[in-house]
Amino acid sequence: MTTTLKWAAVMAVVAGCVGYLIYSASGGSTEYYLTVSELQSHHQAGDVRVAGIVQNDVVRTEGGLHVRFTEKDSTSSVVVDYQGQLPDIFQPGITVVAEGTLGADGVFHARTVLAKCPSKFSTTPYTQ
Amino acid sequence: MILAYIGSGALLAALVMGGFATLLSFWAGRQENAVMIQVGRRAFYAVAAMVVVASAVLETALLTHDFSIAYVVEHTDLSTATPLVAAAFYGGQEGSLLYWTLILCVLGSASLLASAALGLRLSAYAAGILAATATFFLVVLVLVASPFDVLSLTPPDGLGLNPVLRDGGMLIHPPVVLAGFASFAIPFSFAAAALLANRSDAAWIAHTRRFALLAWTLQSAGLVLGMWWAYHVLGWGGYWGWDPVENVALMPWLATTAYLHSSQVQERRGRLRAWNFGLVILAFLLVVFGTFIVRSGVVPSVHTFAVSAIGPWFFAFLFICIVFSGLLLALRAGGLKSTREPAAAVSREGTFVLQNLLLIGVVVVVLWGTILPLVSGLFGQERVVGASYYERAAGPLLVGVLALMAAGPLLPWRKAGKQAGRALRWPVAAAFVTLALMLAAGVRFVPALVTMPIAGAVLATCAVEFARAMARGRRQAGWANMFAPLARRRRRYGAYLAHVGLVVVVVGVAASHFWQLEKDVTLRPGQQVSIGGYTLTYSGSDQRQLADHSELVAAMSFGDQTLEPARATYAGLGGQSLTHVAISTTATADLYVILVGTSADGSASFRVLVNPLVSWIWAGAIVIILGVVLGNVGERAPVRAPALVPVRAAS
Repeated sequence: MTTTLKWAAVMAVVAGCVGYLIYSASGGSTEYYLTVSELQSHHQAGDVRVAGIVQNDVVRTEGGLHVRFTEKDSTSSVVVDYQGQLPDIFQPGITVVAEGTLGADGVFHARTVLAKCPSKFSTTPYTQ
Repeated sequence: MILAYIGSGALLAALVMGGFATLLSFWAGRQENAVMIQVGRRAFYAVAAMVVVASAVLETALLTHDFSIAYVVEHTDLSTATPLVAAAFYGGQEGSLLYWTLILCVLGSASLLASAALGLRLSAYAAGILAATATFFLVVLVLVASPFDVLSLTPPDGLGLNPVLRDGGMLIHPPVVLAGFASFAIPFSFAAAALLANRSDAAWIAHTRRFALLAWTLQSAGLVLGMWWAYHVLGWGGYWGWDPVENVALMPWLATTAYLHSSQVQERRGRLRAWNFGLVILAFLLVVFGTFIVRSGVVPSVHTFAVSAIGPWFFAFLFICIVFSGLLLALRAGGLKSTREPAAAVSREGTFVLQNLLLIGVVVVVLWGTILPLVSGLFGQERVVGASYYERAAGPLLVGVLALMAAGPLLPWRKAGKQAGRALRWPVAAAFVTLALMLAAGVRFVPALVTMPIAGAVLATCAVEFARAMARGRRQAGWANMFAPLARRRRRYGAYLAHVGLVVVVVGVAASHFWQLEKDVTLRPGQQVSIGGYTLTYSGSDQRQLADHSELVAAMSFGDQTLEPARATYAGLGGQSLTHVAISTTATADLYVILVGTSADGSASFRVLVNPLVSWIWAGAIVIILGVVLGNVGERAPVRAPALVPVRAAS
């Protein structure tokens, strides 16, 4: 076998490994990114991420470690239940992305809640 | 008001001059007209001078609180501390684009000043490509994102800077990371110019490598400073979140890391020329792609970016760059093929090639994760990947790169053959010793049992290289001259020092990732929490009033230390409250306490983390940069490459 062929084989093996790693790693950890209305209309098994606006009904208990609020988009809303540390800028009116599952009780049980960070390229948070 | 006119005028002049420099440089380069090439180059210096003027004007407007300018109003106010007012220069969309253009023009001018040795045509084309890139930014700055827009009414005060950004890190992280991004344009310009001019000799390699190294060093510093800022200021307990914004900064860095290694194969053995062009070009394309992604808001990110008018412009620029580079590589790369037999797999150059393939693999993994929402959105429901995707897909590839770092330096060039096993005896031994020690210590976690021994092997390899060089120095000229060989070939030993730094970073990343402890607790004053050998007592909270904000401070004591995590509330910013994390750092672990909130009954909720060896990451990063600087600053280009005077035309 010539050296060129050997390298072609090495390249093929590396490409195969990369492809396999991408395939196997995305199997378990890709999640659907939904709006609240999409979440309500087609039910997904497993974890999803839901983006929506925090409504004015935030209830914090356990010193802020447990929180329940309504997340809403233009048409639908869902109650989100979350245990843990909230992002600093969390407050009614901001957009958050909740990651978790929709329970049979119709409550979205979030594992994480991410807020859209104010960025150095965006001035919207201050002008509102 | 007058400042705004001077600023806009300078940008407009720079734009006209940039167009002129582009056209003249390409035309004169084609004609090999030395006088006109010189004129084209000077036109680029004039662009740089105008951009410097515009930048100085913006900075003056910020510092003198000229609230007739919209940009000044949107990013500062009278109460902001002066250094942060100065930092607002790059703190907003328009200003950051101007800053980017400034770095491009200044570094571009420096690279052109030193480009005479590369030949008339190549240096002219490089000037043309640099000028074209600068012209693109100037078009955006003049037409769509001008930092000098004037308000019809001058408000008495500005809107101020977001509290998250009111931190010392703001003074250093964004300028370094933006400078890193901007500087990738320079190796790109010289690579594309060399392809256009059909030349890639030793002088070109040295020139391109120097600026690629500069870009790489800036980007390394920018990445680490970003991690440091996320960890110390944003207060979520980690330093890397695989957010698109982080990913797009990482990808050009990975591609350039690959280039800096494979360029040695070209330097020493005259191979991989087309591949090296590809890597330099890829790094720049990733920068443009990243800027497009980040500034246009097409990918969901934790960072919100104002959906601005510059998205389509960057998309068009990206498209032009891809087509231009693709055509160049397709038409010219054939002429770059080495006639020699490719490298043997088990040899120094073999490990470089394999390392390159793995690093490109990591780029593919990260790129796929970043664009998945876009791609999946085209074919149905948008999907995203979490951090575990990157860890599981990129992790094994990075461990492979680490293993090559242990093997490569000890393997001979050309072909290692049977001696390979003997050459690698020290790193292999070190790996087994590390493994045995870890097993004895009771570690059973497989990723740790793989990563740490390989890190140990890399360390052994570097130690062997240093020891051999010093032994050689001692044999040649006695103990006093032990370090002479290190100084004589400092580029090489600087690189090994950087490898040592990387091992320290890897150990820090692995330890803080594998063995992080966390606990969410709610405590009344006097109550305790225990985590990872620390026992903390909550002794009560207190409200404090500071200059521009008030703080709710909780006191947590352990041993003779008191940690004071706090929540700061800034008036006038929608009651936004901000975590001020408290960290107690030792060489072995960081105790990281976040105040989540307090209740009326006097209890407070905390998130307490123990992050092992995080300080190693910062220390290792300093060693890496030290190694690169010691090894390369003032270093003369080595003149040992097989002379590759004009490559034969791509007929």
